[in-house]
Amino acid sequence: MISLIKSPKEKKLKIINISGGTGVRRRLFSLGIHKNDIIILDSCSIFRGPVLIKNLTSDTSVAVGRGIASKIMVDIIE
Amino acid sequence: MNKKEKIPDIVFIGQPNSGKSTLFNSIAGLKAVTSNFPGTTVKHTHSKVTVKGRLFNIIDLPGTYSLNPSDEAEKVALTHLFIEKPDLIVNVVDASILGRSLEMTLELLEIESPMVVALNMMDLAEKKGIVVDPKKLEKILGVPVVPTIASHGRGIKELLDRAFAYFDKGLKPKRLVWSKDVEDQIHYVEKVIPEEFKKVANNRFTAIKAIELDRPSFNRMLEEISAPLKERVLKARNNLEKNHGVPAYEVIAAERHHLALKIFEDCCQLTRRKKASFSERIDDVIMHPFLGYVILMGVFVSFFLVIFLVASPIEEMLLGPLTGLREAIPKYLGTGILFYVVDGLLQGVGGGIAIVLPYFIPLLLLMSLLEDTGYLSRVGFLMDELMHQIGLHGKSVSPFILGFGCNVPAVVSTRILESRRDKILTSLLIPFIPCSARTTIILALVAFYLGPVWAIGFYFFNMILVAFLGRVISMFFKTPSPGLILEIPSLKMPSFSNMIKKVYFQLKSFIGFAWPILIAGSVVLGLLQFFHVDETINVILSPVIEHALGLPKELGVTLVFGFLRKELSLIMMLQALGVNYNQLLTVISQQQILVFTVFLSFFIPCLSTVAIIWKEIGRKWAMVSILLNTSVALLLSIITRLIFIGI
Repeated sequence: MISLIKSPKEKKLKIINISGGTGVRRRLFSLGIHKNDIIILDSCSIFRGPVLIKNLTSDTSVAVGRGIASKIMVDIIE
Repeated sequence: MNKKEKIPDIVFIGQPNSGKSTLFNSIAGLKAVTSNFPGTTVKHTHSKVTVKGRLFNIIDLPGTYSLNPSDEAEKVALTHLFIEKPDLIVNVVDASILGRSLEMTLELLEIESPMVVALNMMDLAEKKGIVVDPKKLEKILGVPVVPTIASHGRGIKELLDRAFAYFDKGLKPKRLVWSKDVEDQIHYVEKVIPEEFKKVANNRFTAIKAIELDRPSFNRMLEEISAPLKERVLKARNNLEKNHGVPAYEVIAAERHHLALKIFEDCCQLTRRKKASFSERIDDVIMHPFLGYVILMGVFVSFFLVIFLVASPIEEMLLGPLTGLREAIPKYLGTGILFYVVDGLLQGVGGGIAIVLPYFIPLLLLMSLLEDTGYLSRVGFLMDELMHQIGLHGKSVSPFILGFGCNVPAVVSTRILESRRDKILTSLLIPFIPCSARTTIILALVAFYLGPVWAIGFYFFNMILVAFLGRVISMFFKTPSPGLILEIPSLKMPSFSNMIKKVYFQLKSFIGFAWPILIAGSVVLGLLQFFHVDETINVILSPVIEHALGLPKELGVTLVFGFLRKELSLIMMLQALGVNYNQLLTVISQQQILVFTVFLSFFIPCLSTVAIIWKEIGRKWAMVSILLNTSVALLLSIITRLIFIGI
């Protein structure tokens, strides 16, 4: 289990845990990011900017800041 | 159901980017503003429409991802939904991301109000290789499901037909059941909800929301209403947490998520394995860690280039006849009071047509193009880190960019920000963004009299100032920004008619609100001059204008009008100095023009901006904004004077 920030790009990842404040977690859920979802880390910006999560389970893309991304734990599945 | 006494309310609700406003527009006409950036309908739009001889009140609510409000736009939607209890809900759903969209549909079904689902963006779903079976979905959800393509007006007639039929029968959606242990906890709470408890819907919905809303203030409220209820809610939350190992609200969110995914799998077929589509390939380029920024720079540069290339010639074309007309009036009207009134009138009307509109329209059109294609969200992604440097995050980019057009809608759009801290900081910074009116001044004064390089330098300096102020102001806030969570919607081909509608909508508010002020202000200034009151104002302001800034004292009165609208100052400046635009350098030096522009640009947010800041974040912050702007303007213009003119 590694944090999303440290995960490789373009690999299938499974969300194992989302920690952090209630507000942030609720916001992620409502944007369709849940535990057990399969995601791909799409791109990172050149500066230490946000990461782009492509959620294969709900077929959506969400950009999250690095602080939040570091609280999303994933397993590499492919 | 007796529907004769009251006009039935039909509410349109859906997630951001679901095409809800577009659908609403095609039914209501030119009312709601749509876009492809999460959260543009921040105020809800009412409209009375007659469909098939029946009068309905239709309401477009801001896009919301769930019924757990996390930003202001979402709170607007929910308050409306709960307090005004609509007679019919139209849930607009993006069929191309059905799995996620259904989560909110399920939440809406829990209210058990009459509802229809508009399965929108079917064309996009098809392109993605998703084939949705509306009949099957209808059977599972127990409410009418009608496929629509709002941008082409398809399916709307059927949607209305089915909605009315359903409404007339007074049908309610069926109840969907969750896992047994979650249902058990809901029943456990449901049983003790007192009769007198103010419910927004049924007992089950109330129980679910009570379990979900784990906030101290809500718990205290429960305690006051009924101690046994609070006890059971806490127990139910504990049980769920114990059984699932996560907080109760997450268990319930997961229930909806799983149910939504199951329904999605049951009524959708994926026709082909998706390969990278054309729009995904475009995305790879415009969000590329390096190329993305090159393109972003290019977009910004061309954005302004187009405006200036289009606007400047038009402005000159319109200003010519106006000057001629003004010079001709004394011949017919003499130089009495009538001359001053008519001259003021001409200035005001002409100022609106010749100076504001040529910049306003192209700016608004380009802005809506950026919004509707979905590029603006990508800018939010690309600019996030930079915005962090000034204490904000990527979502504030959109209000800032809107600010280049007009600060007023920019302040309104800060409602999309979740935290109050971000909202305040962004709202305080927006008045420093050069809006189209100030751009006009910078162009007309700095670019024309000092050269384009100076104007670009002015802009560049302006941006640095915004960044610097952001950093300084953010030091006063204890809590850091919560960080970016921003949906990146799929790229869409913008609909030209939608863009026109949006520009028309914004222009209408300018013509209805600002233009009359501009005209009245010009007439008043004419009268002030006739009665020589302007001289008194000039004397009062002379310590600042003459002594601190080293400018002709006649310019004092123009600042009063600059508060009404910034571009007024430009017109008034010429009038106050008694010269035509091209004779300006005979009465004032280049350096003085620079000092004046610096002061004018920052000195105070215009009246409409102050009003909107007051309305959005409160009087205190409106005052802070005035104080901040005025002191920054004074400081900067004195520095400019010292550098370029000396003491």
